[in-house]
Amino acid sequence: MEETALTVRVHDVSMDFGSGTKAVDSARFDLETGRFLTVLGPSGSGKTTLLHMIAGFLKPTAGEITINGQPVDALPPHRRSIGMVFQKLALFPHMTAAENVAFPLKMRRWNPKGIPARVSDFLDLVKLGDYRDRRIHELSGGQQQRVAIARALVFEPELLLLDEPLAALDRKLREEMQLEFRRIQKELGVTTINVTHDQREALVVSDEIIVMDGGKIQQKATPVALYQQPANDFVAGFVGVSTFLDGSATEGGVEIQGTRCAGTHMTDIAAGTPVRGGIRAEQIRLGRSAQAVADCDTRLTGHVSDMIFEGERLLYVLNCPALPGVDIQVYYHDPDAFDLFEIGSEVHFGWRARDLRIFRAAR
Amino acid sequence: MTAPLQRAIFWILVGFAVLILSLPMVIVVGASVTSGNIIAFPPEGFSLKWYEKIAQARDLQQAFWRSIQVSLVCVAVSVPVGTLAGIALSRYRLRGAMALQVYLLLPFTVPLIASGIGMMLVFGEWRILGALWPVGVACAVINLPFIIWSVSASAASLDRDLELAAQNCGAGPIATFFHVTLPAVMPGVITGGLLMFVLAMTEFLVSLLLTDARTVTLPVQVYNNIRSIITPDLAAVSTIFVVIALAAVWLLDRLVGLEIFLKSK
Repeated sequence: MEETALTVRVHDVSMDFGSGTKAVDSARFDLETGRFLTVLGPSGSGKTTLLHMIAGFLKPTAGEITINGQPVDALPPHRRSIGMVFQKLALFPHMTAAENVAFPLKMRRWNPKGIPARVSDFLDLVKLGDYRDRRIHELSGGQQQRVAIARALVFEPELLLLDEPLAALDRKLREEMQLEFRRIQKELGVTTINVTHDQREALVVSDEIIVMDGGKIQQKATPVALYQQPANDFVAGFVGVSTFLDGSATEGGVEIQGTRCAGTHMTDIAAGTPVRGGIRAEQIRLGRSAQAVADCDTRLTGHVSDMIFEGERLLYVLNCPALPGVDIQVYYHDPDAFDLFEIGSEVHFGWRARDLRIFRAAR
Repeated sequence: MTAPLQRAIFWILVGFAVLILSLPMVIVVGASVTSGNIIAFPPEGFSLKWYEKIAQARDLQQAFWRSIQVSLVCVAVSVPVGTLAGIALSRYRLRGAMALQVYLLLPFTVPLIASGIGMMLVFGEWRILGALWPVGVACAVINLPFIIWSVSASAASLDRDLELAAQNCGAGPIATFFHVTLPAVMPGVITGGLLMFVLAMTEFLVSLLLTDARTVTLPVQVYNNIRSIITPDLAAVSTIFVVIALAAVWLLDRLVGLEIFLKSK
């Protein structure tokens, strides 16, 4: 089976540092040319280890990585055609912006005559044409990001790796740079693997997302599919804000301490099996009267225990006598009625059966 | 205690410390400009005649240039060795790192007379005792821990990702070392190198054991002169030593200060 458009194949790759659990455990995925893949996971999930193996800084203890059909495990990092933007950028402090960008061209023995023009082109691409002779510490955080991305892309790598380079930026600059990365990636069409713990960034910039936890790939899907059809409770909890209900499976739902909740089984689950149901904060309906939740499949009453103002929306935390011990999180969007429910007041809430996703209780 | 009183005590202590530390230098420099014929402080009158005298003293001049040669040999040997050792020490989990740490304490624990005699025996066995360059090598050996320290301090603050980034840019191990690692530890190398120069320039005990009449270095020559008759020209020579040390400090400030400025740290 020949797939010409395949750039990266990660084949059952593991990394065992000898500490008991594997940092990366049998990771397997393919990435097609020109796609933007994000590896999303909490810290310690193995995502950076995976990236370092692809870059060649670490040798997998098992499995194989191929780039454009060639196994790369025997290639040292400087022989791989991979550009990388590091978490702390790792720009060379004793060089100017232009010298940093020229460095990979010199090391990769490009024709010296062509180097200055190419460096100028790439500094223009990242909108830094006027800053070429500045030293790194004379540039702002966003400008340094741009130098780093120009340095990673200037030599036409087959693959671009991003190791959480945006994590240290403030939110506004981070969102601006996310779109900038996306623009440049589209413009050059370079295959990209981005690593982040920021679920919002993953949803915004990616063609595809891999969610990792505990060294294992939990799910690979497009952003929309990942959000709408999480493969398990970890993914459901990591992407978006969800309330989890632990109980036992029933026909078309879950029973939690005697309360039956309507939901959708994500896999074939026999009645009585321990399960975990997850429902997103924006999928719970909230109202002052029972009428507001009339079209919900599950209808409950509870009290507002907390209210968090998030600017564009409110997050209510509810307690419900029928679901003891569960903090139910609900987003409320109505801009005209932001102070509708006071803390302690009684509210009606509910959801449709398709929105409560029921997973086999794993771990 | 009130704040002004605290400040007064602080400055009195500082002034006292500065005075004690600089007193020998002040006395030597003062004595060197006397117009009398015996070493005395305060000096009798002012004259530069003793500087004139040492400028014409062939034995002192030759000893001075020999000391310069010794220092250059010492720097030439200790900088490459000390740089590599310093980087290795801060970078890798070396087998025997503990032993190396103990080695780094040796300059403070082993009396120089012991290492000097040891080296005299070894060099004698190798039949290189009359030459000048072994003195430089000896100075490099006994003072090596200082440059290792200085470089490993620089290397410890080096971001490991810089070297990974260089590899990612296509630089092999050797290119990575010269383009990225070495520039990053340069402040430590310069500091260590200047330190080694000054230490070798002023090294007395080991030089005394390793030199003969044809190869005396400046500190040994000064010692020989003291043993005959103490005249103010020795104070003038000592002043030259002080000037060399100050020049080294000035150079360090210029080079490393600049380097640190470039690194924006």
